[in-house]
Amino acid sequence: MTVRPVAIVGGVTTKFGVRPSTWAELCQEVGAALFREIPELRAEDVDSLFVGAAEPERFAFQSHMAPFAAEQMGLRPYRILQRTELACASGQSAIRSAYAAIAAGLSDVAVAVGVEKMNLPSMAEANAAMACVMDRAWDGPAGATAPPFFAMVAQRHMLEYGTTEEQLAAVSEKNHRFANTNPAAQFYEKTFPRDKLLRLPVIAPPLRLGDCSSMTDGAAAVVLAADDRVPRYTPTPAWIRGTGQYSDFHNLANAGSLTEWVGLKRAAREALGRAGIPVDQLDVAELHDCFTISEIVEYEALGLCPPGQGGPFAADGRGDRGGDLLVNPRGGLLGCGHPLGATGIAQAVEVYRQFARTVPAARQAPDPEWALVHNLSGSANVHSVMVYQAGRAS
Amino acid sequence: MTTETRPRRPSTLAPPSEAVPPPPPPPRKAEPRPFLLDFVPLEGESDTRLARFFQRLREGQLATTRCPRDGALLWPPRVVCPTCHTEELAWVDLPSRGRIYAFSAVLAGAPLGMEADVPFAVGLVDLEGVPLRLFGRIEGRPWNALAVGMEVRVEPYDVGDGRFFYRFRAPE
Ligand SMILES: [Zn+2]
Repeated sequence: MTVRPVAIVGGVTTKFGVRPSTWAELCQEVGAALFREIPELRAEDVDSLFVGAAEPERFAFQSHMAPFAAEQMGLRPYRILQRTELACASGQSAIRSAYAAIAAGLSDVAVAVGVEKMNLPSMAEANAAMACVMDRAWDGPAGATAPPFFAMVAQRHMLEYGTTEEQLAAVSEKNHRFANTNPAAQFYEKTFPRDKLLRLPVIAPPLRLGDCSSMTDGAAAVVLAADDRVPRYTPTPAWIRGTGQYSDFHNLANAGSLTEWVGLKRAAREALGRAGIPVDQLDVAELHDCFTISEIVEYEALGLCPPGQGGPFAADGRGDRGGDLLVNPRGGLLGCGHPLGATGIAQAVEVYRQFARTVPAARQAPDPEWALVHNLSGSANVHSVMVYQAGRAS
Repeated sequence: MTTETRPRRPSTLAPPSEAVPPPPPPPRKAEPRPFLLDFVPLEGESDTRLARFFQRLREGQLATTRCPRDGALLWPPRVVCPTCHTEELAWVDLPSRGRIYAFSAVLAGAPLGMEADVPFAVGLVDLEGVPLRLFGRIEGRPWNALAVGMEVRVEPYDVGDGRFFYRFRAPE
């Protein structure tokens, strides 16, 4: 079977934050924004819809999310309609599924939308929803949620390599600074200098509030098209050149090393290998900074620095503008917030805009050709990576 | 929606007398916790083929399953070996002591039903002499008096409604 080239031809996000909006309203809002953003797109062009939503059953008591989202967005998909759930990576899963469908010739034009409304009247109820991402029956009774798990990653990294709270804060400072270039970010126009970050309350020691991404409401959507349809929509497509995923455990007992993310190494090797480029050819990366320590371990797993050197890499600004690789220019999960299903889509929107050179100068990568997007999900037990190349419509 | 209503049955109850107080309602069986808001698994023979695990906990002993073919100690306990797929797994008792590999604490953001426990410590514990690193709650000391490498005991406990689970206890 021939594999057709597939590109993202445009995308949008809603405002991320604590939104006075329901799931339905977020879907309507992102649908309207998408049709405004891509005037050439007609609803009848969209033959397939993939909906990244992590936990509508827990956050909204709503299942059967794909037709729900289709109706809200004004779409009537006639080839493939499905929801993709992979917790924090549900959005990237929607893109990957749309890519696979188009590459295989089963779809020509597809929308991948991600949506999550996480803020509930009861924060404890929302936290319970987050907890069931873990192994509910065996890790759940102890109170396992993401913050204490990633806190243990940070504790081990500090113990094994001497990583410091200041190095963690460097990641948070950078991503919050970039979020100030992004009006859609939850923490737009909020400043987090390093000394302020180090005084914020401890949530799960050693992680403070500023080390953790937040509970966020938001939606994002992209349009994917087969190569022959691409020129209809954009002169600056983001071509999907590689994809990889890896998962080797779920229950926390089977995590192995907390500080060496084997799954990311394997997923990145697969995705970069398919794209045919080494990691140092990347111009921009969207890495899953659900916690500051995540970005540090990701620098190492991607081979941007040796094992254990992620802390100094962050503190020396090597993931910043003018560094080795521009990481998380839209503000990351730390600065934008993390509406689970929408995050992976919003990262792809940033890649598209970086390639189109439509982001503010303060975060624009110079002449970007290659981009990598990474999502982890759960307790970093799944890693999902995609590699994009800028190019002309063929 | 239908507008049809059921015909009312004539009441056969006598009107309440002012002299005789109404009888107290029959004692109600306690409602089980809503299953979808409760992390503790169902433990009975009719709920799970791993009821033996919870029975051993009730007897004060942590146990798990082991594959007799490849010798692998499996956690959590299972009904099929993930490597050779045999269903003939054996139950083995686990050591009751271990050392903290990593720990943290929940100081904010506890799940529903655990808000009253805050602050509470959790951690990964290497069980003594076996290749198992279990996650669990750590009681016995405040989180900031715990340390990596500290010895802790496995402690089965009643979660409050007759079901049992395990946690760790640090020396006081
Ligand atoms: Zn076996």
